[in-house]
Amino acid sequence: MALLEAQNLEKNYADGTRALRGASFSIEKGEFVAIIGPSGSGKSTLLHILGFLDHESSGVYRYDGKRADDFEDKEIAVVRNEKFGFIFQAFNLLGKMSVYENVRLPLLYSGTPEAEWDEKIRKAIRSVGLEERTDHDAAKLSGGEKQRVAIARALVNNPQVIFADEPTGNLDSASGGAVMKIIAGLHEAGHTIILITHETYTAEYADRIIKIKDGLVESDEKVLHKNTARDNFQK
Amino acid sequence: MRLRYSLQTAINGLRDHKSRSLLTILGIVIGITSIIAVMSLGQGAQDLILGEISGLGGNTVVIRPGREPEGPTDIASTIFGDSLKARDLVQLQRKSNVPALTDLMPIVIVSGSASYRGETYQPDIIGGSAEFFANSFDIFPEEGVLFTESEIRARATVAVIGAKVKKELFGESSAVGESIAIKDKKFKVVGVLPDKGQVAFLNFNNMIILPYTTAQSYLVGTNYYNEIIVKLESTDAVARSVTDIEETLRQSHNISDPSKDDFYVVTQQGLVDQIKTIINVLTVFLSSVVAIALVVGGVGVMNIMLVSVTERTREIGLRKALGASTSDILTQFLLEAILLTLIGGVIGIILGASISYAAALVLSNVFLLNWSFTFPIGAAILGVAVSIIVGLIFGIYPARQASRKSPIEALRYE
Repeated sequence: MALLEAQNLEKNYADGTRALRGASFSIEKGEFVAIIGPSGSGKSTLLHILGFLDHESSGVYRYDGKRADDFEDKEIAVVRNEKFGFIFQAFNLLGKMSVYENVRLPLLYSGTPEAEWDEKIRKAIRSVGLEERTDHDAAKLSGGEKQRVAIARALVNNPQVIFADEPTGNLDSASGGAVMKIIAGLHEAGHTIILITHETYTAEYADRIIKIKDGLVESDEKVLHKNTARDNFQK
Repeated sequence: MRLRYSLQTAINGLRDHKSRSLLTILGIVIGITSIIAVMSLGQGAQDLILGEISGLGGNTVVIRPGREPEGPTDIASTIFGDSLKARDLVQLQRKSNVPALTDLMPIVIVSGSASYRGETYQPDIIGGSAEFFANSFDIFPEEGVLFTESEIRARATVAVIGAKVKKELFGESSAVGESIAIKDKKFKVVGVLPDKGQVAFLNFNNMIILPYTTAQSYLVGTNYYNEIIVKLESTDAVARSVTDIEETLRQSHNISDPSKDDFYVVTQQGLVDQIKTIINVLTVFLSSVVAIALVVGGVGVMNIMLVSVTERTREIGLRKALGASTSDILTQFLLEAILLTLIGGVIGIILGASISYAAALVLSNVFLLNWSFTFPIGAAILGVAVSIIVGLIFGIYPARQASRKSPIEALRYE
């Protein structure tokens, strides 16, 4: 059974825009899938639906065999909290909070016993190499560091799937490379990764690339010359 | 989300906008301050008045003309009532009619000023019996004597004056034997009361006591009394004597139907109940007026919370993406609103109590009233409860707005 399964997903916005026109594919547990396409192709909309941040207008989306429509609001919150981790292009950190507090955010809404929080937070921060910055204000970090904090936050609840929406979009090539290496490392550690990007080179960190054009799947192929966590990142 | 962290988030939210938060709670502070001050001062007034009443003694009852006041027209009938007359005194004093009666005194209230050699003063002029006052309130002249029953019967133009009246009209010189003018009529001062301040409603310092017969004949020109004060053998005799008095006066006034009574008898307990009712009604009325300030404050809180929700749209979206449920967001913003109003409430309670404490100091030290400060614990609890309720009522709408935001629309918000 596929972990994520999309069947004829369509998404129409109130202003008449048809972001998705019937996208279908499935993703297995442990895969690293890049969804690429030009701006406006519907790739971000697709990620939002897959990540339970938005609803499809028609078609069927199943997570772990269960239709998205059958999840109640509270269950959706639990899935977002415990099963999914999000990395956004704009980082979306709370600037007035410290690195530690930002990484702690998902734990506030989880059932994890409070006694385990500190260890989990520090482990996540360590895994992105920011232990020196633990008590710094998030607002004072560089772009690359901010994205690493966002990755630590996505990781802290050890989610099954990590959704990364243009994670290198706001970064210089060195920082972007570092971020992609961390994401590739997460895949190697067993996480399922869904990466949205418009950069072919970034997409080549994945095992599989789904090309989206005009709201439809244009191609769905395995990557032959895969970048790895050890490769240098170049734009 | 655990309550501790919800609370911490709410506190952080307020701390990030200190001046805005302070200005927002101002309305709540004003509202709660006023409620606490009104209730505390109301309690002080009640304690003062009830203390004064108890000074009268439980065996004293008061007969008043008109109907027992239940509304403004009844109060008017009491003020302008002319049903209590000399024949009633005779009937009441008959042992067979009211066996427990030991003494009585009709009261005639005179309005006007008193003058002596060009000095004019506005005292409280009461026609009554100087001996009755002296015995009832234990206040005897420090100079001169009281006027007697025979002087009352003779409608003598004599007066006993209070310490302040003496000082205003005579200064340091002696008043006894001198004549003062009230409404162009000369009255000989026979006694000066000591400086005793307020005793049971009555400020003897500011009083001129004349024989009630003289007041009726020469000053007000009426043949009725404003009230009759009756002293009974004991407190136990009050209930029975009230019935005796009522039956005697009905007979005297030819009334067969008690609902048509043109007088009523006020016992000390009745007076206490009446005054409590009046003060409570006044307190509730004033508090209701003040509650408007709270509503205005609440609207201010709602307004600022709506601004805060809009400002933090992206944060709401992020929290939802990270697993916050609708109720988590609702709780967070509701707690923030309640925290705002609660802080306002606590400041209001402290300010309100301080104001009534200061008022108590002024009233007792400057106006020499027997006024004591009472911290209204009931009002303080009410203040806390009201501020929480205001926070709940005016916070629920912005909090619902926040909790209903779609995470992705919120994250896209610029």
